[in-house]
Amino acid sequence: MSAVWQWGSLSRVRTPKPTMSALQAKQISRSYGGTRALSEVSIELLPGSIHALCGENGAGKSTLIKILSGVETPDSGEVTLNGQPIPLGRVHAVEQIGIVAVHQEPVVFPHLNTVDNLFVGREQSKVGGLWLNKKGMREQACQIMHSLGETFSLDIPVGQLSLAQRQMVSMGRALLQECRILILDEPTASLSARESKSLFATMDRLQQQGVGILYVSHRLEEVFQLAQQVTILRDGQCAGTQPTSSLSRSELIRMMVGRPVENPSRQQKKTKSKSDKPILKIRGMRRDPVFQDIHLEIHAGEILGLSGLVGAGRSEIARAIFGLDPVDEGEIWFEGRCLPEGFTIQDTMAMGMAMVPEDRQREGLVLPASVEDNLTLPSLIELSGWMGMHRKPRHEASRSLIEQMGIKTASRASSAQSLSGGNQQKIVLGKWVYRQPRLFILDEPTRGVDVGAKEEVHRMIEQLAAGGSAILLISSDMPEILRLSDRILTLCQGRIKGEIASHEATQEILLQWALPEERDALS
Amino acid sequence: MLGLLKQRAAGLFCFTFLALGLVSLINPAFLAWGNLRDIAVQAAPVCIISCGLMLVLVLGEIDISVGSMMGVLAASMGAMVSATRWGLSPWIAVILTMILGTLMGALNGWLIAYLRVPSIMVTLGMLTALRGVTEVIMGGTWITDLPPGIRYLGTGSWMGLPICLWVCAGVIVLSTWLIHRTPLGRRIFAIGSQPRAAHLAGLPIQRVKFLVFAWTGFLTALATLVSVPQLSVVDSGIGVGMELLVVTCVVVGGTSVNGGTGHLSGVVFAVLLMTMISTLLIFMKLGENATYWSRAIQGLFILGAILLDHLVRSKKSS
Repeated sequence: MSAVWQWGSLSRVRTPKPTMSALQAKQISRSYGGTRALSEVSIELLPGSIHALCGENGAGKSTLIKILSGVETPDSGEVTLNGQPIPLGRVHAVEQIGIVAVHQEPVVFPHLNTVDNLFVGREQSKVGGLWLNKKGMREQACQIMHSLGETFSLDIPVGQLSLAQRQMVSMGRALLQECRILILDEPTASLSARESKSLFATMDRLQQQGVGILYVSHRLEEVFQLAQQVTILRDGQCAGTQPTSSLSRSELIRMMVGRPVENPSRQQKKTKSKSDKPILKIRGMRRDPVFQDIHLEIHAGEILGLSGLVGAGRSEIARAIFGLDPVDEGEIWFEGRCLPEGFTIQDTMAMGMAMVPEDRQREGLVLPASVEDNLTLPSLIELSGWMGMHRKPRHEASRSLIEQMGIKTASRASSAQSLSGGNQQKIVLGKWVYRQPRLFILDEPTRGVDVGAKEEVHRMIEQLAAGGSAILLISSDMPEILRLSDRILTLCQGRIKGEIASHEATQEILLQWALPEERDALS
Repeated sequence: MLGLLKQRAAGLFCFTFLALGLVSLINPAFLAWGNLRDIAVQAAPVCIISCGLMLVLVLGEIDISVGSMMGVLAASMGAMVSATRWGLSPWIAVILTMILGTLMGALNGWLIAYLRVPSIMVTLGMLTALRGVTEVIMGGTWITDLPPGIRYLGTGSWMGLPICLWVCAGVIVLSTWLIHRTPLGRRIFAIGSQPRAAHLAGLPIQRVKFLVFAWTGFLTALATLVSVPQLSVVDSGIGVGMELLVVTCVVVGGTSVNGGTGHLSGVVFAVLLMTMISTLLIFMKLGENATYWSRAIQGLFILGAILLDHLVRSKKSS
């Protein structure tokens, strides 16, 4: 590699006049089905500056980025670059005018090597596209990966590289493009310190060259260290844009969480006699690389909240307890019995566990099947006699469940997909309720459910707990977890970061704990 | 992974030659030039179609309509040149057959890429529908009066080699170039490797899929043109089972059924091996019943190949 760092595409970048705002998005709205992901969000990005975008899980950051980079089309609103409207919804055209995004999931093709990964879709060729300029592309790929401080072989399929290396390939792919605006969505999530450092050096260089950078990260120290401006999104709306110099970490968190939070935590429940044997007890559970060193206990009638960012390992823990994923190490005691090694979902169901999965449509329901079929699916053996399934007990079971859960459906024969999200979720809960399990694992039980139905689901969860079941509640909805839980565990990067009684907890504390690595965060 | 796939081509190569050596020990007549040429001629149309189908599988799709497409193309080609039917000049018939093949492939591609119908459903429908069209064209009769101009494509040779081998070699060279040296080739592999990433990267997924299916249709037409005139008779059963043979060869040749990987060299050796099996069995002098085993052996090969693929992948992921 030549000693002088030279980089074909970037040396061609013209520095825009600094007075112009480079990228401007006005009044962007986008809905998915009934849920509003973004509502009239505006953001302005100056050339040669780093602009951070912050918000909780589901605040709309990824949607905004997909719109700015041309992956998705907004329902309304416009995006301009130097005053020119950009072609919405066309990735290639958006890249051509200089807006390049690095998405949270690395855009890599596992079977192709690094050179192909960098150039696919914008190959360099001779003879009018009939002969790839392999040598030229290779040299340029080499330069870019070196400039990012990577020295791995460019010839092995990218699928064999580490996650961090793949992320760097994805980064290289973006930098290959002559860019005026660079959008980075959680670029450091899977990088080690060394790689992050070379990434920051690259960002610095780009900034000098007048590139505007939109930077999304959960690591607030990076936001303060790198960015000049920060825009906060909350529930799909813009909660404000501020210079980072005028904000403190806690102020930023408060803006992400929203309204000075009056704590909706429920009245301290009758303190349970501590002599209660725990229903579920976990000691040192580990599954690499998603979670390590998990200890927890849940007592009868208790709701234990599990909070943390997306990807912190919450759902993975739930799946492991329920026997869907194997654990590498650790003991799980259920009602005083230790689960055998290699236990499966059949074991845990028979012992009295139930789980409401995160993805209702794909994992929780058989959408085209009827309400009755869905409600009785886990209990078919119990509902059948020696000649197989009987219609009558199934009718009775489903009728009583529809009534008990307050499911609004035309009939028990209607298909599950004809129901609203809230009623679908009641089916998912109801099918387990019939088995009267001792432990409910609820993963995001009110995601995508409207306000009224949410209230009902909450009431049901409280009823289940009052009836003596133990409940493990996973939720990204902080007011919900604060309201329902007795105790809350916060996970960060696969480890339990802290435990707190919910009447002492606030959204700020939970978010502080959930955000990764900052030594002074707890002081 | 790449290493293992390259080994697949090498493994098939060794296996093919081991089988050749073994059989020629038992019966030296196997190595006669005429016999080897017959095997190659038999393999050529399969190889031509496999070059297209491999790309379809790399995309993560499937096309099981190629056999029926061959039937329609053979019937229409026969009808075009037959003096008792349309009596067109062989040149025009050749060009029209190529256009018709491309159009049928393009119809598959349009339904799959732009209307987003799963390829297995589209081509399953085509498998049946086109077989029906063949029977309509043939009208319950045979075409027995192929003119010499067309027969030359099947029986003639150039510089000592049959025409079909030249065409096959041309297609292999063209495919190698397409895969390794054109943007389109790289995009086919990228889309099959990770469709979500391809979407985020703004690759023209629909156009690529459309082109690959149309290309497969064109290659099916080529295969028909060089194989059907080998015999003087066209009947409505031409191409029956061809789709299974081609899919077998492509999969045994190391193309992943999940998309993203495939090597042309492996596919070519797999075609040779698969078309040799029945001849091998005859020359091994195992008795009359032995040849009946050729289908079962082909089936075992496809199961073995998929199992190998699966084992490699589960080993990698663990």
